[in-house]
Formats: sequence, C-alpha cells, structure tokens
Amino acid sequence: MQNDLTKNRSNGQQPAETFPTAVSPLQAETGPAKEIISRVRTTGLHVGFGPREIIHDISVEFPQNQVTALLGPTGSGKTTLLRTLNRLNEMSSGFWMSGRVDLDGRDIYQDFSDVREVRRAVGMLFQRPNPFPQSIEENVAIGLRAHHIVPAPQIHQEVERQLINVGLWDAVGDKLDESPFGLSGGQQQLLCLARTLAVRPEVILLDEPTSSLDPISTQRVEDLVTRLKEKVTIIMVTHNVQQAARISDYIVFLNEGSLVEANWSREMFINTQNHIVEDFLTGRMG
Amino acid sequence: MRRQHAVDIFMWVLCGIALALVILPAVDIILDVLIHSAGSWSLGLLTTTTFGEGGGLLNAWTGTLVLMFLLFLLAAPIGVLGGIYLAEYSSLRGARILRFASEMLAGVPSIVVGYVIYLVFVIVFGWSFSVLAGVLALTIMVTPYIMKSTEAALNQVPSNLREGGSALGLSHSLTIRRILLPIALPGILNGLVVAEAIGMGETAPLIYTAGWSNSLPTLQLIHQPIGYLTYAVWTYINQPSAQAHQLAYSAAALLLIFLLLLIGLSRWVGTRASRYTSRFQV
Repeated sequence: MQNDLTKNRSNGQQPAETFPTAVSPLQAETGPAKEIISRVRTTGLHVGFGPREIIHDISVEFPQNQVTALLGPTGSGKTTLLRTLNRLNEMSSGFWMSGRVDLDGRDIYQDFSDVREVRRAVGMLFQRPNPFPQSIEENVAIGLRAHHIVPAPQIHQEVERQLINVGLWDAVGDKLDESPFGLSGGQQQLLCLARTLAVRPEVILLDEPTSSLDPISTQRVEDLVTRLKEKVTIIMVTHNVQQAARISDYIVFLNEGSLVEANWSREMFINTQNHIVEDFLTGRMG
Repeated sequence: MRRQHAVDIFMWVLCGIALALVILPAVDIILDVLIHSAGSWSLGLLTTTTFGEGGGLLNAWTGTLVLMFLLFLLAAPIGVLGGIYLAEYSSLRGARILRFASEMLAGVPSIVVGYVIYLVFVIVFGWSFSVLAGVLALTIMVTPYIMKSTEAALNQVPSNLREGGSALGLSHSLTIRRILLPIALPGILNGLVVAEAIGMGETAPLIYTAGWSNSLPTLQLIHQPIGYLTYAVWTYINQPSAQAHQLAYSAAALLLIFLLLLIGLSRWVGTRASRYTSRFQV
C-alpha cells in the first residue's frame, strides 16, 4: 500500500500542503496569538455512541510540529476526540459522527479510500503498553512490511535504527528474538513508540502514555516526545497538569464534550479568562 | 462480623462439595477401569486383533487413531475458520446464520446424527459401513464445539491489542494472524483437544456409520468398516464371559491413556507455539 502520504515521507519531504488559518475568537480574547499552521483540524465535529452525544460541535486546530495537550476533567471527551482523529472510534459499536476531520486539508473520513492509510499517517500510543505477541524485532518490522516502508533486505537495519531512535537499542539489541513481555513497562511503551514511528506517521496521538509508568520511564517518554516534535505533530491526552506544563506547546481544553479554550500553553497558564480552566490548572478542580 | 464468618465457612463448604462431586467420580472411573483391566495387560493385547470374544485390541486402537486423525484433518480447519469468522466478522449477516446453524447442530443428539449419515451416505450413496461415513458423523458432532471455543478464545484477547494492530494501520487479516491468534492459541488448542476427546468417546454415531471390523484399518475410505475402542467397550461389557469383560475394560483403559496423551500433546504444542506470549499478562 504505497499511498501519496507514504511517498512524500519516504522522499524525506514534508507534504507540501499546509494551510495557515485564522485566529479563533477564543484566542483573540486572550491577546494576540501566534499564527497557527495546523496539520490536523476538526470542523463542527459531533461524535456520539448510540443515543449519547459525547463531543459537541468542536472546531479546533492542532498546530504542526508542536505538542498539543488535550486537557479537561474526567469524562470531558478527551479520549473520544483523540480516537476520532485516527478513526479508531469506528471499531466501537454505535459510533456516529458529523462534521469534518482534516489531515493536511484532506477529510480523513471522506478523502481516504483506505482507513489503513489514515492510521499509518496518524500513529497512536495507548495508555497501557500493548506490544504484539511476536519477537521484539517483529514488533517493529510488522508495520514496516505491511506498509512497504523499506525494501525487505533493509528491514533489520531499519528496526535497529528505530530502536536506537527511541533509546531502546542498548537494552534490547542482543535479545531481538525474545518476547517483548519480558521487558519493563517503560521499555514496552518505548517499543510501541518505535513501532509507531517506524511507519513514518505525520501525527502521533498519545492517550495518557505515561499513566502506567514510573517517574523515570515517564521522563524518558516525555524527553522523546519533546525531541520528536521536530518531525511529527503530537496530540496528547493527559490528566496531569504538570505534564502539560512541562511538554506541551498548545493546550486544547475540553469540558463535558465541548471546547472551552484552545491556546498556546504559556498564554493559557498565565492569563486564562475562563474560571473552569483556571480552577483546573491551579488544582482547585481535577 | 460473626455472621459474615459463618457465611464464609458455609461458602467454602459448598465449594468443597462441588469440587468433590467432580473429582470423586473421575477418580472412581479411573480406579475402576485400572483395577478391572490390570489382569489382562500384556503385549499381545496391543499386537493381536480381536476374534470372537477374545484376542487383542490392535484393530480397535489403530482404528481409533485413524478416526481421530481424519477427524482432526476435517473438523479442525472447518471449526477454527468458522470460529474466526464468528468472532471477527460477527456483524455480517453470514455470521448470524452460521451461529444459528452451529447452535442447532450442537443440540442434535449424536444418535440422530449417526442415523442421518447412515441413511444418506451409507445407504443412498452406497458407501456401506466405512471410515469416511464415521468421520463425517464425528465431524458434525464436534465442529460446533470447536467453533464455539475458537470464538470464545478470540473474544478474550484484550481489546487494546486489537486496537494496537488497527492503530498501526495493519489489515484485519494480518491483525488476526499475527496478533490475535498467537494469544488465543492455547484456548483454541484446548478446544481442539476436548473436541477430539468427545470424538474419541462417541459410540452411537459410529455404530451406524463406521460399523466394526476385526481386521486392521486399511487406506480405503469407503466400502470398508473399521474397528474402534468404544465399540469394544460397549459390546464386550454386555457379554457373559470374563474374557469379554477384560477386553472391554482394557479398551476403556486404552481410551483413558489416549486421552492423557492428547492432553499432554496439546500442552506441549501450546508452550512451544506461545513462545512470545509466555509472559503475557492480560
């Protein structure tokens, strides 16, 4: 499956089409904001399961090559919104949506003939590490083969490159043929990240990726995320305000399925006008 | 507090009784068979064929192995593929029809299955008592079971693994083959072993279809009946002579041994196949 996006990336080029967009009213309220060059944006998005609507009319942009944190209280629809961005919600029964989700100007629900193409371009890391029941090497190689990222003879070399990239090579270089379930939780999560990066995504979705990890592993993942944004756009659900403050550039704040505020992190932390956001950021609500 | 303690003890006693109700009959059956057959154990039992009410069980135990082997060849692929279809494509209309048919089939008494095969294949198709007719009857008996256990094993794979495959953009079939099946494999193998054990223990559908033979199994699939251990148990236990009784108990003992070997084999295959899942935790 060699699609347009794959071709662009394997030439080492960014897809040419990115579009600057207007400053949203919410940003205007909080002072003159930097112009956003977005890679992913939603327009009038409603999402629900069966009779329940979870996401209400969200139009928001996620800036390119930045880390965006999706913040909000439990049940605010952060994860549902995240899973709409790679069409993973389609696997849940009763899912419905209206509105648009664009990736580089293409509607991911309409303009891609194959959902696999969307999911290759928009990678995802889950709350709990979920390595596949294959060898450590195969965990990374399986995506390389499925999407024809590199020719077969180069797969081993590419696996090594990806494992070095996430800082896992020293730990697993001599046991590539072993089960990934023998690794620590942090190492398993890094392996999942290497597997995701291997297929050259343009966007990576992180669903509370460090919630099951110890502080040291958490720091390693956070360092990696900060480094990775040079190459990919990162959208991360987190419950952790400190984490958002440490690594996010932009914050999208949700409450009860609606967009409350979207702004550059610094702006939001310093002078949010919204009392819900303020209560949440200062720890009065959480 | 005291009342809670009493309830606690009461529940433990109930569990103990339930456990005993399962274990005691099993132990009773095994001891009964071993004690009654102990006198007749000899190499001749395994190496000579049956004649009259005596002789050995060579034709019967080899016949049972042949039937089990052919049953595996036929029922395992149909059952496992059907189970995958039920678990992974359950939203399709075909899956609803398949599930309904499979549940119906599972409820049909074995003697009815045997009789239908007898009428259709043995009589109308003119196969006469034959290996293939017997295997067909057994396949109809155990395939619904294999489907059900395969479906259950796949449904127990944690959803975050399934989602991991999808999120990476892998195709559904690749996700099934490389991610779901390795995790589900021990459950599927267990289902296959139980299915083979059910097949091995069946008598009624085979009497109508496979017949019985005092001579060794041949490679001929039709027009040739075949011997099997359950027939020896069923027939010789009803004969008056002590010799016939010994033969019946020996056949029962062999069935138990085959069962143990079958369980051992599945464990061995299971641990080898689950090399990358050995430390997997849900």
